[in-house]
Amino acid sequence: MIRGKIIGQVWGARHVPGLDGRKLVLVAAHDAAQAPTGRVVVAIDTLDLRSGDDVTVAFGSGARNVLRPGPDNRDLVCDAAIAALVEGAE
Amino acid sequence: MFLGRVVGSVWSTVKWPEASGLKLLLVRPYCLADLAGAGGSTQPNDDLVVCADRLDAGPGDDVLVAFGHAARVAMAGALPAGQKPSVPIDAAVVAVVDRVEIDSV
Repeated sequence: MIRGKIIGQVWGARHVPGLDGRKLVLVAAHDAAQAPTGRVVVAIDTLDLRSGDDVTVAFGSGARNVLRPGPDNRDLVCDAAIAALVEGAE
Repeated sequence: MFLGRVVGSVWSTVKWPEASGLKLLLVRPYCLADLAGAGGSTQPNDDLVVCADRLDAGPGDDVLVAFGHAARVAMAGALPAGQKPSVPIDAAVVAVVDRVEIDSV
């Protein structure tokens, strides 16, 4: 997982069927000093968060488990998803 | 996933049978400085990613690219339960982007 901040949202009417109805947010990755690293990822947001929120992003099967926990989720088109809203870090 | 711009395409004649008929694009990922404008203080990322595409994207289009299993599922479409996609790729275009909204950096 990575930690970062939501900076915006993207939309695309022409997409693969697996992305129907998904909210896609842009997340700027942060380093240990909580400064942006420059890397930006796009993640599926199921928590309905806003720009400016600090979040963790899960990748791979961890991301699919956010959308549908369990073994029967390999049909999902999801490689990155917001796993948590961060409230504090030291 | 990442947001990037299509900058070209690649093709090949020697490949695995499962890869025949695949359209491959070169995509340059956007970094924070690209999205935030000139005020960004980050390093540009010039690494290009080769992505399979079934959405008919072309040079100049902004696209979303997924990696790994999600990319293979996106290219394979609906599969019988329990069956894994056999297409030999790890990156695919999953959406052609119409609108990007940056609220805060």
